[in-house]
Amino acid sequence: MLQQHQHHLQSAATAAPPLPPPATSTPPSSTAGEAPPKQVALAMDRLGHAARLIADIRLGADRLLEALFVAAQPHQSSKPLHLFRQEDDSMRQHLQDLRTIGRQLEESGVLNESLRSRSNSWGLHMPLVCPDGAVVAYAWKRQLAGQAGASAVDRTRLALKAFTDQKRRFFPHLDDEQNGQGTDSVSKKHRSSQALLEDNQDNLSDCKTLSDVLTSLEKDMPNLKVLTYERLDWLKRASSLPASANDNTMEVPKHNFHSSSILRPGPQNVVSMDKVAVIELLFPSVFRAVVSLHPAGSTDPDSVAFFSPDEGGSYIHARGSSVYHVYRHITEHAAVALQYFLGIRSETALHSLLHWICSYRSLFTDICSKCGRLLAMEKQSALLLPPVHHPYRTFSPSKASSTQAIASTGDQSCSAPRAYHIGCFSDEA
Amino acid sequence: MPLKWVFNWQPNAGSTVNSQILNEVSQCVESINGVKEGRWKATLTYYKPMLRDQALAAEFPRDFLGISLPEQPNKYYFILRGHKIVLEADSSIQLIMEKLQSYKSRVALNFEGFQYQLGDFQLRVGKVVPTHSENLRGIVMEVEYLPISSLEKSRQLMEEFVDIWQDAVSKRSLPGHFLHIEPNFSDYGLADHYTSQHTAVQYAHVMAQLIASVQAGQAARN
Repeated sequence: MLQQHQHHLQSAATAAPPLPPPATSTPPSSTAGEAPPKQVALAMDRLGHAARLIADIRLGADRLLEALFVAAQPHQSSKPLHLFRQEDDSMRQHLQDLRTIGRQLEESGVLNESLRSRSNSWGLHMPLVCPDGAVVAYAWKRQLAGQAGASAVDRTRLALKAFTDQKRRFFPHLDDEQNGQGTDSVSKKHRSSQALLEDNQDNLSDCKTLSDVLTSLEKDMPNLKVLTYERLDWLKRASSLPASANDNTMEVPKHNFHSSSILRPGPQNVVSMDKVAVIELLFPSVFRAVVSLHPAGSTDPDSVAFFSPDEGGSYIHARGSSVYHVYRHITEHAAVALQYFLGIRSETALHSLLHWICSYRSLFTDICSKCGRLLAMEKQSALLLPPVHHPYRTFSPSKASSTQAIASTGDQSCSAPRAYHIGCFSDEA
Repeated sequence: MPLKWVFNWQPNAGSTVNSQILNEVSQCVESINGVKEGRWKATLTYYKPMLRDQALAAEFPRDFLGISLPEQPNKYYFILRGHKIVLEADSSIQLIMEKLQSYKSRVALNFEGFQYQLGDFQLRVGKVVPTHSENLRGIVMEVEYLPISSLEKSRQLMEEFVDIWQDAVSKRSLPGHFLHIEPNFSDYGLADHYTSQHTAVQYAHVMAQLIASVQAGQAARN
């Protein structure tokens, strides 16, 4: 029964009569005295009613099935039969009502396009029920304020706004072209990032494979422990963290990444590069960062998260969240930085990301480049935090590794990476 | 485990500690957005040797301290400050000592008060009272930074926190200030990675400061 009526509605919609049905060529007297807005309102109303009836019919069908099921159970009273009769009656009524509504909609031209050509429609069109059941409603906003008929233009505008908000939040670097900051600053930024790109390309041309990236990272950062894992192995590792209280007694992890170990015999200890899905970066006593690669073995990072070096548990993974505020804020910021690196040049994104992560190695000693303090009260959460924002737009991995060398020779002036408190960070940085 | 600095209230010359100061300090913590979480309590005991000939007592170490900490309910800590020894034992050692009767409690003090959460920081403010007495002897404060365990890496950050804290306290014009003197942990064989033994040593040193300031106060009055 249900299918019959849906089919009825659908066939009415697809019907393209060569002659317009008599109902529409001479508008029925009920609609003759009503202005198009009222007609549209009525049509929307009826469509709503039809939808409710269809819902009722669906529910009724469920109840009928239920009654049948109960009746099939042994030792039942006459209750199921009573339910069945009741449901049967209400279903028939619903279907009758639906037939009526359907007829009314047909007459008013909703289920076909016969009204579109009418010239006195004030620019309005009757709502159209498409073959797939979608209702396309066009209506004057003012006339139907509060009713279902938002115009397509409004809907598009809302969708665009929602999309722009999301884009601004997660991909702020893509906003540059649209902001009216003035052509000078925009083109200057563009040029400087271009210059960085060219700079990087020379250094990064040899960092094509995952193995290359990790080797160059280990070379640049002597304090860093880089460990690689297959995806499931990481879960085991995370659950056994923290390995021990003291760094000295930390057991040698099973999957230690050392370029030299690849040459050693006994490859059971080494994760083969094409299965690596998780990279762990540990700066002892400072932080542990987890980067996920997708697909495994590639140089495509897809998420990153920061944790305390003392945290442990199965929630420690690239999409996890630390229990401490400071690492949670860095993780949020890192997600945006990751998108930036992927957007600028995806082949070098991993290299840039890993070096950028390393810029946090002096998280608890780098003062804010804007206010000169280490701790600041973050306005929104009212918490004291060190500078958790490191700029990523102007970040250059080659610069980062050269400052490491400078720091070791004692020149302090440019050795600290730029860091900002949340409140001191601005997009121009 | 997260690192912690223990502070001792140092009253100005000529003034003594009182519960009004404790209230003011608690309000101060709340003024920097501290959220009260619950209570805490630690107990410190001075032991004296039980000897047949009490004249020999002078040959024994003068300050033999035992302390129980709320974060380690199953442990008990002994400190011999003069000899720079700290020992972590199971809490059942207290029962053993009672049975042995070799050392008895001379004086026992409670550190108790409220605990506050400030984001990644945890603060404890407590009064120092002898057990079985409400006589306020001092005020202590613990500042703990939860994310990391390295004393060295956190030093700058903790110092800045202290600055912020002292700023907040100075607005209330209290007759004294909180003092933190870091003991030389390496003397006790302790490393940079923070442990409860570090806390025990800090409390032993706090007690020494407390006694010194009480004695100084008494001397000034005499």
